[in-house]
Amino acid sequence: MTDDVGRTESRGAGWHVPEDDLRAYARGELAPPSLWSADTHLVACAPCRAVLAEMSDPAALDAGWERLDAELDAPRPGFVESLLVRIGVADHTARLLAATPVLRLSWLGSVVAVLVMTVVATNSIDPERVSQAPTLFLALAPLLPLAGVALSYGPVLDPTYEMTVVSPTHGFRLLMIRAVAVLAVGLGLNALASLALPSYGLLAAAWLLPALALTALALALTPRLGPVAAPGAVGAAWVALLVAAERATSGSSGISGASDPSGSTLAPFTAEGQVVAGVVAALAVGLLCLVRDRFDFSSDHRSAA
Amino acid sequence: MTSLGTTPSVPSVSAAGLCLSYGSTRALDDVSLRLGHGVTGLLGPNGAGKTTLLRVLATAVPADRGAFTVLGHDPGTARGRHDVRRALGYLPQTPGFHPDFTAFAFVDYVAILKEMTDRSARHREVRRVLDAVGLSDVRGKRIKRLSGGMRQRVALAAALVGDPGFLVLDEPTVGLDPEQRMRFRELIATAGEGRTVLLSTHQTEDVAMLCNRVIVMAGGRVRFEGTPAELSARAAGRVWSSTQRHPGAKAGWRTGTGAFRNVGDPPDGASLVEPTLEDGYLLTLDASEVAA
Repeated sequence: MTDDVGRTESRGAGWHVPEDDLRAYARGELAPPSLWSADTHLVACAPCRAVLAEMSDPAALDAGWERLDAELDAPRPGFVESLLVRIGVADHTARLLAATPVLRLSWLGSVVAVLVMTVVATNSIDPERVSQAPTLFLALAPLLPLAGVALSYGPVLDPTYEMTVVSPTHGFRLLMIRAVAVLAVGLGLNALASLALPSYGLLAAAWLLPALALTALALALTPRLGPVAAPGAVGAAWVALLVAAERATSGSSGISGASDPSGSTLAPFTAEGQVVAGVVAALAVGLLCLVRDRFDFSSDHRSAA
Repeated sequence: MTSLGTTPSVPSVSAAGLCLSYGSTRALDDVSLRLGHGVTGLLGPNGAGKTTLLRVLATAVPADRGAFTVLGHDPGTARGRHDVRRALGYLPQTPGFHPDFTAFAFVDYVAILKEMTDRSARHREVRRVLDAVGLSDVRGKRIKRLSGGMRQRVALAAALVGDPGFLVLDEPTVGLDPEQRMRFRELIATAGEGRTVLLSTHQTEDVAMLCNRVIVMAGGRVRFEGTPAELSARAAGRVWSSTQRHPGAKAGWRTGTGAFRNVGDPPDGASLVEPTLEDGYLLTLDASEVAA
């Protein structure tokens, strides 16, 4: 350790590659992201290269140089990609995710904007009605992950779809990699928004099971209806369901009175509604697994002859 | 030339009875073919079924009927399809890009899709194919800043990554200027050494300059399969020169010399001229219209 610090200091001020890392590097065992830091640094730092040369055997050094050479024009990973690698995602999986259109900052920005506006609108509602459900938020929140997943794979937003579908990477595997990532991000943002609505308690999380149900259902229907119609139909069905529930609730609350908080909660967000959403989600996941091989071919069947 | 020109004895790709319909349109109607090493040109008018055939052979869409094998693998099974895709390079008609990726990052991305997970080996391979298509200098540029010809070469590099045994190229020379087209032909000719290339094109010159075999499609059917010389020979004795466009000709046009070149059934005493691949192609299409 003392020796390590001493050698580092002899290489001058500022950051240098730690000796343990250099040793691992010389053996070809250093993993990203430390590998990238070392590669980038070694290009610019002669003292570190000298230390590396001392601790390397010639063959390993040649291999290192060859790799460094290949590294010189390797793409600098973007924000999302380096973030993913830092949290432990393999670098090739990170690249597959970085090519997901909805994992761009522009998409995430719009999702955040929609959520912020919804939360602000919900919080600005008359405090006397606070015991009711945050209906606008609960109605909208499941649609955001649905749209994100729908746009993450397929001919609509992936310009390389045709090349992707004939690659050895199974379409369903790629779909799952992206869907899980998009869902994780989408659900995470929704959860943050729920935390901004503390007065509603657990009811502010009643979007979760509907979100999973809608997303799984849309994916399961995609092989049959296509990548646009399936999420479109599922989204429309959700809106129709809420409108019907709203009519039923306002009809009954007219009798029971607006002071009864449970009377103003739409059916999908009640305990019974949540159970139904959970069952739909489970069934849809089962169906999705059954049709997974259908994702192995292009859904763009009607393309030019 | 003759050894290249014969029907491949051990075909790398062989298809039998491929049919595919879109609604009432028969895009592929009982297509059978055998491809060997080298570049095979696929000629045909718009709507002939060229792209559909390429998409089926590239395993993008399954055929309604019929079967085919690629390098001994049967894409009808999940395992066989995976093996075919490992051996496949595909340049679609309108290749898409992630425009914010650099040329290097994009080809690297395709290499990852081709299951090359070892980072340094993959990067070496990406460099190799970018060198091969002459894009080493712009590998760090974002694709949206590259010219159309360069983008097309990026797409070719992506098809070549992983050294596939079967290369499917869908009209790669469309939209390129003559110089770029020439450069692209050189690249395809090099790519055809030691592997099987199926090249769809509108341009008979592409076929004349590049291909050791040619397939002509019309109306979803194969109308001709043979060597370019055999296709030209179809017009032997059926191309003649005259001072006026001959009314009986299937096609006739004034050439640079001022004389008319007529293709069809020549009148007695016509001054016959040497047929080209284009003449043979025109007559093959004409015969297929009659047949249809």
